[in-house]
Amino acid sequence: MKWRYPFVFTILVLLFVLIIGRLYYWQIVKAEMLSELARSQYKGFIKVIPKRGEIKTSDGFPIVTNKVSYLLYVNPAEVKNKDQTIQLLSSLLDLTKASISAQLLPDKFWVPIKSGIDAKKKEEIGGMQIPGVGFEEHFTRFYPEASVAAHLVGFVGKNEAGEDKGYVGIEGFYDRLLRGKEGYSIELKDALGRPIISERTSMTGGSDGDSLFLGLDRSIQFLIEQRLKDGVERYGALGGMIGIMNPQTGDIIAMASSPTFAPQKYWEYDESLYKNPFITNTYEPGSTLKPIIMAGALDAGLITPQTKCNICVGPVTISGYDLHTWDDKYYKDTNMIEVIQHSDNIGMVFVAQKLGVDRMISYLTKFGIGELTGIDLQGETAASLKPRSAWYAVDLATTGFGQGISVTPIELLSAFSTFANGGKLMQPRVVTAFENSNGEVFKMPTKVKGIPISEKTAKVMTEILANAVEKGEAKWAKLKGYRVAGKTGTASIPVKGHYDPNSTIASFIGFAPVDNPKFVMLVILEKPTTSIYAADTAAPMFFDIARDLLSYYGIPPSE
Amino acid sequence: MKKSYIIMTFLLGLTIVLSVGRAVLSNTLSTSGIFVSKAEQEINSYKTQNVILSEKLLTASSLTNIIEKAKASGFTDEKALMVIKTSGPLAVRP
Repeated sequence: MKWRYPFVFTILVLLFVLIIGRLYYWQIVKAEMLSELARSQYKGFIKVIPKRGEIKTSDGFPIVTNKVSYLLYVNPAEVKNKDQTIQLLSSLLDLTKASISAQLLPDKFWVPIKSGIDAKKKEEIGGMQIPGVGFEEHFTRFYPEASVAAHLVGFVGKNEAGEDKGYVGIEGFYDRLLRGKEGYSIELKDALGRPIISERTSMTGGSDGDSLFLGLDRSIQFLIEQRLKDGVERYGALGGMIGIMNPQTGDIIAMASSPTFAPQKYWEYDESLYKNPFITNTYEPGSTLKPIIMAGALDAGLITPQTKCNICVGPVTISGYDLHTWDDKYYKDTNMIEVIQHSDNIGMVFVAQKLGVDRMISYLTKFGIGELTGIDLQGETAASLKPRSAWYAVDLATTGFGQGISVTPIELLSAFSTFANGGKLMQPRVVTAFENSNGEVFKMPTKVKGIPISEKTAKVMTEILANAVEKGEAKWAKLKGYRVAGKTGTASIPVKGHYDPNSTIASFIGFAPVDNPKFVMLVILEKPTTSIYAADTAAPMFFDIARDLLSYYGIPPSE
Repeated sequence: MKKSYIIMTFLLGLTIVLSVGRAVLSNTLSTSGIFVSKAEQEINSYKTQNVILSEKLLTASSLTNIIEKAKASGFTDEKALMVIKTSGPLAVRP
């Protein structure tokens, strides 16, 4: 019996060692894992998705904001009558029975059926209390003015991770600012999973997106979209664009292009429609570039308004190319005022030759031609100027009347605004201020890009352009009582090394009132069919809109 | 001796009161999480309602909607401008 005592003692020691070993395993070896497991049971991380910032027009109206929408999902395990549920959802959501049935697999617990359901529909379906059917709340972009300013604002799509991302326009350019920062809050729960109030932490590391204020005037934007739509139809054009800018600040007052798309249903449109042609499309500006070239020659002191053109008696031949005027009419000893008035190509060849290649490149660069304007919109492009070595005599001559050189409409609008702003070139901008999630508003400063010409030259050029409106080929469309400075442009379209004789890009650029310009506007029609000339198409559209703008701004006639 | 006895008793009593108070408070707070949860749900529901109402308000006040309603009511664009100029004072007339 003596062995019993040592036996029991050994067993007890072994058991003790076993318990110590086990305790060591759980409390030392697996300590971290168990702590993590415990934390996950009583601590809950709540992900806080930031609300995307709004985009507001100059009157404070949110042209882009957020709305509540719902995702309808089904838990197949909780569905009581599968056939009846499919039948109901099919009729309520306008989906085929087969598409719903294929998703309701019994091994799944969460099947998304349809997203983008509005509150009214959600109430209707939710009221039926269909077993297994639930909703998830989401915020999606909402456009109170529908597709107004679509090219300017862009749209919100999804990135590779399925998260919201802004594309093109303002949404693309200011995506990081608008998106905000994702945050989270921690919540401690009791054994039954109920939150413990004393241990709750506030949201950390996140903030809602900033809201943007635009210089865009909602009423004017609406007006030009209507006028553009009417103009494209009336003149049988392929498309068109209108841009209006404040010459003193560079603020974009309105910008529209046709055809356009609806940002709320962007996926229904061809991707080529997403880009804003006013900042992405390059074209040969034709006669609308003439004032820029002439201003350079005036500023350099090479010509005066009274300088007579000694080559304007007929067509000129340069490097084997015959150059004509648009109507084959020639004016002997015409002066520079009349060159712009008649939109005389030969007169502009004379000016270009006076200027020379080096000064031509220098002035074009000073006016911002061949460079990005720096407008705060995603997708801007620019066609660089040819290198100095690639300029031949004929290039110099054709650039004088706006052919053989490509610009974007925003480049031209920005450069032309210089005349209306005492010779100062402003950087065009869309956003004038932003407001952070704490309600603090920060104004964006305006930027002078350069002073390409003197104030005196700007004034002289303004008078030459006012004369062109008064006496030029578009005089029939001018406004009575108002002084407007402007220029038509009927540009040929290069096709496979030649110019298409049957189609043009018709445009009109100008500003008003001459003495204190309130706006600069560029109207472009692509391949109008009723007439290929800008004087018959783009010019009347310009004056039609200008009349409404002057009335809107409350500017009385000066004459 | 008597004074220190009173202080000791007071401190002991205070400790017991505070401990009991803490226990009561913790118990109360531990169950109030349910009410907080409900209150939060209610706040979120009001927030959602606000967003839905603001959506309706913005739609109603949009130019797109106003113009449609104006057209339906028979309003048309006024093309002719009328300007009333004030005549200069007698003293400056030639």
